[in-house]
Amino acid sequence: MRVTVDPVRCEGHGICCLFFGERIDLDDWGYAAVDPAPFDDIRLARKARRAVAACPEGALAIEITAASAAPRRH
Amino acid sequence: MTLAPSTGSAVDQGSVDIAFGGVGEPGTRLLAGPEPGSGAESLIAHQARLGAWPDFEADRRALLDVLDLSGLRGRGGGSFPAAAKMAAAAGRGRPLLVVNASESEPASAKDATLVGLRPHLVLDGARILARAAGAEEVSVVLHRGNRPGLRALSHALSERARAGLDDPEMTVTLGPDRYVSGEASAVVSLLEGGEAKPRFTRRRPAALYGVHGRPTLIYNAETTAHAGLLARFGAQWFRRAGTAERPGSTLVTLAGAAARPGRVLEVMAPVSMGLLLGAAGLDQPPAALLVGGYAGAWLDGATTWDLPFSHEALGHAGASIGCGLLGILPPGACGLGETARLVTYLAGESAGQCGPCVFGLAELAAIFEALALGQASRADLRRLHRRALGIEGRGACRHPDGVVGLIQSALRVFAPDVRRHLKGRSCGATGGPIFPVPPTTGGWR
Ligand SMILES: Cc1cc2nc3c(=O)[nH]c(=O)nc-3n(C[C@H](O)[C@H](O)[C@H](O)COP(=O)(O)O)c2cc1C
Ligand code: SF4
Repeated sequence: MRVTVDPVRCEGHGICCLFFGERIDLDDWGYAAVDPAPFDDIRLARKARRAVAACPEGALAIEITAASAAPRRH
Repeated sequence: MTLAPSTGSAVDQGSVDIAFGGVGEPGTRLLAGPEPGSGAESLIAHQARLGAWPDFEADRRALLDVLDLSGLRGRGGGSFPAAAKMAAAAGRGRPLLVVNASESEPASAKDATLVGLRPHLVLDGARILARAAGAEEVSVVLHRGNRPGLRALSHALSERARAGLDDPEMTVTLGPDRYVSGEASAVVSLLEGGEAKPRFTRRRPAALYGVHGRPTLIYNAETTAHAGLLARFGAQWFRRAGTAERPGSTLVTLAGAAARPGRVLEVMAPVSMGLLLGAAGLDQPPAALLVGGYAGAWLDGATTWDLPFSHEALGHAGASIGCGLLGILPPGACGLGETARLVTYLAGESAGQCGPCVFGLAELAAIFEALALGQASRADLRRLHRRALGIEGRGACRHPDGVVGLIQSALRVFAPDVRRHLKGRSCGATGGPIFPVPPTTGGWR
């Protein structure tokens, strides 16, 4: 899975980055810059879901990538 | 390969000077027929010239096959395979077919030429693509500023109605004269009665979820016109022009230091850039070439004289045919100054929706202007590189990516000028602006 951001909705609140710094960074203007590298780690998946839920604009989404239909347990 | 005599008187379409001429034998296709001076071709003349409909017109499967075999690729900039897009939507819901004749590119004139002078070629193609998709409605989208296009299309539609052609229902919609309004999702928004601004559609492609949730197939006007001809004459015929990767002829608009900027040529075969530039009135290499549109790529003028004008060769050189714009930067002009003007224009054309686009493009434009004026430092140049990489792929549409590509190609092709400008020295450029940049005006409807 991976996280995607809808750049039209993103208003640069920066909350997502606090929850999921492993994949979400803020650019020089404060907007979410998402690392598209897929992950299937259950810990990261939990963080990703929290970030998605925390965005007040509903700009984030989790995308299921072909390689990881279901999160793997470690 | 020979150069067909570039015939043609000019016709005044607004401020754009258009003339017909094919490059690379044999003959021409989209631009065949009467000279531009005679205006839009009538339905009677069009049918007399091209003959009856193919009798397999009602056979959807056969239409899809010929489209697939032809290898037709989109002419709106992305070179996307036309049949693949069709396959995504085929057999779903109530599809809608859209002809994108917006022609956002300020210096491009090919779609205006087709719609204004060969409206029936475009409408035939729309009918064929609609039949192939199982669509009963067609929308043709034009920029509001294209008055001759609107006149020609309206007249052509009335001719077809009077002749009793069993076309799908066809309407014309006018959109704002804004650069990003020709982008596919902006066109969808316009057709829903909204603002013609791009949307974030990465998980909801228009082919599946378009206008009011209906599958919506959007084809450029030139792509559409090709479809009308290849349905008549077949995939084999179509492939006789162009290259293996991008079959069919290609419309090219000459811009900048051409004898007649705005002139549209039909390129039949991968002729050399030099041959095309010869048709533009040049007898020596230009300083540089802007290929594919304002958000396209610069190529070095001297080294590309012998480069074939083809999808493959341009791809290797780091450019693409894009919308077919061939912009000529004359010797002595400042490529950095021209790029700065283009970047500033394109930054102003942001739909203002995405942070990286709004702030990123404004900053890129500011740094590039400083660079062109000889007021930028090495640190500024590093920031330019960093910012450019930082915004790539981060807009809802690919507008920022296009600007980043333009900047990166400029820094490559004009590297010696960059060094001079960084030292605060003048590059010794003379003369005024080369490429037209319209004022950013108006709303989004
Ligand atoms: C910023 C931007 C502007 C565009 N403007 C146009 C346009 O004016 N006309 C056009 O046909 N395609 C334009 N496109 C491309 C369309 O999004 C779309 O890909 C095209 O109309 C599809 O037709 P085709 O597959 O026949 O090329 C634009 C794309 C972008 C990113
Ligand atoms: S990337 Fe720019 S032009 Fe495209 S939708 Fe976002 S703000 Fe508009």
